[in-house]
Parts: sequence; structure tokens; C-alpha cells
Amino acid sequence: MPNAEFPHKWGMVIDLDKCTGCQACVIACQAENNIPINTKDYFLQRRAYEWIRIERYWEGEYPNIKARFMPVLCQHCENAPCEPVCPVFATYHNEEGLNVQVYNRCVGTRYCINNCPYQVRMFNYWHPNWPARLENQLNPDVTVRTRGITEKCTFCVQRLRRGEIEVEARGGQRLSDERITGGNYDPACVQACPTNALVFGDLEDQDTSIKPYFDDVNAHPGHGEHDRETRGYRLLEEMNTRPSVIYLKKIDQYPLKGGH
Amino acid sequence: MAIAGLVVTAIVAFILVVLFISWFSNPPFGWGNAPAQPIDFPHTVHAGSVEEGGHAIQCEFCHRNVTSGAAATVPAVEVCVICHKQVNGSNVTTDAVAPETLINIQRVLDKHAEERPIDWERVHRMPDHVRFVHEAHIRFLTQGEERTVTLPVGDEKPMNLPVTVPEACSVCHGDVANMEVVQPQDGQSLKMGTCLDCHRENNVSTDCTICHK
Repeated sequence: MPNAEFPHKWGMVIDLDKCTGCQACVIACQAENNIPINTKDYFLQRRAYEWIRIERYWEGEYPNIKARFMPVLCQHCENAPCEPVCPVFATYHNEEGLNVQVYNRCVGTRYCINNCPYQVRMFNYWHPNWPARLENQLNPDVTVRTRGITEKCTFCVQRLRRGEIEVEARGGQRLSDERITGGNYDPACVQACPTNALVFGDLEDQDTSIKPYFDDVNAHPGHGEHDRETRGYRLLEEMNTRPSVIYLKKIDQYPLKGGH
Repeated sequence: MAIAGLVVTAIVAFILVVLFISWFSNPPFGWGNAPAQPIDFPHTVHAGSVEEGGHAIQCEFCHRNVTSGAAATVPAVEVCVICHKQVNGSNVTTDAVAPETLINIQRVLDKHAEERPIDWERVHRMPDHVRFVHEAHIRFLTQGEERTVTLPVGDEKPMNLPVTVPEACSVCHGDVANMEVVQPQDGQSLKMGTCLDCHRENNVSTDCTICHK
């Protein structure tokens, strides 16, 4: 259980230099979080559900062309634009730095979706549907969201809760910070990433490998990208949403001729 | 004007009736009765005290997952047959045991012979968006150092912890050992306020994601 003595602040670093755009994270997320199967219609209507998506950008002109990939998930912003607009407080920031969506409180106004600059909040336009043989593989730790409510990435909070209870049961006492860290709790996308492009961690834990990136980016906010020692940056930094996800920019060893 | 007034009154009355029914209906207070079960299983005979003709089987002997996982689980037919292989009525005279009892036992043995599960009907239903882990709550009540807590459930008497597993179960489920039929309205209501009262009382987090999934 989260307690004041041992706080958590969960964060993620995404290394675009390592991302190959394989979509393993997308599939892992879909399986872990009971996300309905997207059909062609869903995509054509731009109503596909993806809690984490791979954005693809083309750079250059054929044949001198390169594909760029960027996984985009809920950024769990510290100044989240989605939170103050919810009329029923269905989304809020909890003590562990997670941007939480309470499904049974949501009434589906979609204000949060419109206010999110990253377009990572999904609205259930239809009743969720799976082929009959897939219904037995739904994750019992995650609710099946009904039609008419908003959903989004939770950093797999169900894994955190399950891990906390298991750790507690093993020790026979209350959870302490030495036990549950970013090392033993990973969201499904991080676990599935074959190149370790996604790294998850606890910013309250001084030993975590993602801490230096956050320190560096926080030391040079706004447009201070050129002063930074690491490759870190945040998405849409000028909006001052202060995301808990940091991207490491791709350093191209063989840049396009005439490109940038 | 009079018609408009009637319409408004009718609408308000309709809304009040809907709110009234939804507030008092199944999860909180349980107007519904227990569903009909394929086999009349008396908790009194199995878990009731020996003085009253029961066999005082501990809750966790049949609901095996209750001390290790989220769901308490209904026992497999094999668990019934552990005892009922012997207790099958073959060594009693029918004068001593009611014939319905023997029929019920025979149904269990038939299911075991068919290798089919018994289609029990669910009595307590937790909504899909709630995560309740039996193991963590049983552990809180049955382990740890000796302490006295006042749980805001039942008659709110101070309790000396730790207690045994059956005592821990009865904190929320009521005295199941003495219930012929477990009714949904027996024991604690499944309202969120009950959960929150207890979490606040014991300094457990009340973050939404603790229970809601």
C-alpha cells in the first residue's frame, strides 16, 4: 500500500535509438489490459483503442528515406491538463505519481480527451467485443470497460497492486520500500520490449537507472534541450505538462544525404 | 398549468422510485433471496459447532484459496468427496438421516463419477470494477502482533487480533456456520462506504486504485 514513509514516483524512459517499431508493446498492452480488438472500421473512423501506440514518421524522399518510430502512451503528467476538466473527478493524480482513471466514476463527457495534448485517452464508442475464443483470456485483474467511458494507460497499476500484496504476504509485515521498486514491477509494455527501449523505474529510488535522465531534464526545463548532458526530452515540453515519461532522442549514425 | 404540474410530479416520482430501488437493491442490502442451488448445501452441518450437530470444519478447508489468493473459491467436487467417499449413507440407517440428505450426497457422488463440476449459483457478487483480495484481509485479521481494533462492521465491538481464520471470515460474512441457507443480505453490505470506513479506521490507503481496477 502506498504510505507516506516510503513514497513512490513512477516514471519511464523511452530510448528512441533502441526502438525498432516492432509493436510488441502494443500487443502486450492489448493483452494485459483487456483492450478490444481493433477492426479496420475502427481505424478508418479514427476510433481505434491503443493505450500505447507506435507513431511512424517518414523522413526524406524515396529512395533516400528513413522510418522513425515513437511509442506514445499516457505521459502521466504532473500538470495534467486532463485532470482539472473532469466534472466528476474520475481522473486525478495519486500519491505515486500515477494519473488515475476511475472507470466507474467516469460519465463520458470526453473533456479530458479533448484537453489531452498527447491524444492518449481513448473513448469507448462501442460495447467491447472479442471473438468468442478470446474471451477466456481476458485479464481478471483489469475490468472490461463498458461503452461510453474514457480509458487510458494506467502504467499497469494492477501489477503494482498484485506485487504489493504478494510482497506483503511473503514478509508477513507491511510493505517497505526495499521490497517493491522499479526492478520488480514493470508494466506489460516494458516487459515485452525486446530491445529494452522502454525502461521503467521509481524516481524516489536513488539507484534507479532512469533517475539521471529526469534530473538532467528537470535541470534544464523548457527549451533548454541544447544545454542538456543526456539525450532526454519530453513531448510538447513548451506546454509545461511535466510528463513522467522522458524520451531519449535518436542519434543517427548515417544521416540522410541532404537531410537534417 | 395543472397538467404541467402533474407531469413534473410524475417525473420526480419516477426518479425517486428509481433511486430508491437502486439504492436498496441487491449489493447494498439485498432484497433478493438466495438463488436456488443444484444441491441443498447446509453450512450448519458442515461448519456448525459439534454441540449443535455440526462437524466444525474450518472455512479454509473447503474455500481453499481464501488464505492464498484473491477469490475464496468454491471447492472442487474432489474436496467434497474427501469426506463423502466415506460419508455416503451406506453405513447409516435411513431412520437416522433424512432421505433428502442422502439424495443430496448422492448428487455429489454422481457429479464426481461423471467428472463434472457442480453448477453452484453465485450468492455474493462483487462488481467487475472492484478488486477484493481475500488473502490480504484474512492476513490482517489472523497475523501480526496482538492488538485491539474496532472494526466499523457488525456491532462495532472492539476485537482482539489476531483471530482464527473462521472468526476472520465471520467479521464480514456473518455467522455462516449457523446459516442453513446463506442469504445475500446476511453479513456485511457490499457498499463502498463499508470498505472505506474500515480502511480509514486501520490507516490503510484509500486511493481509488487500491480497490478499483
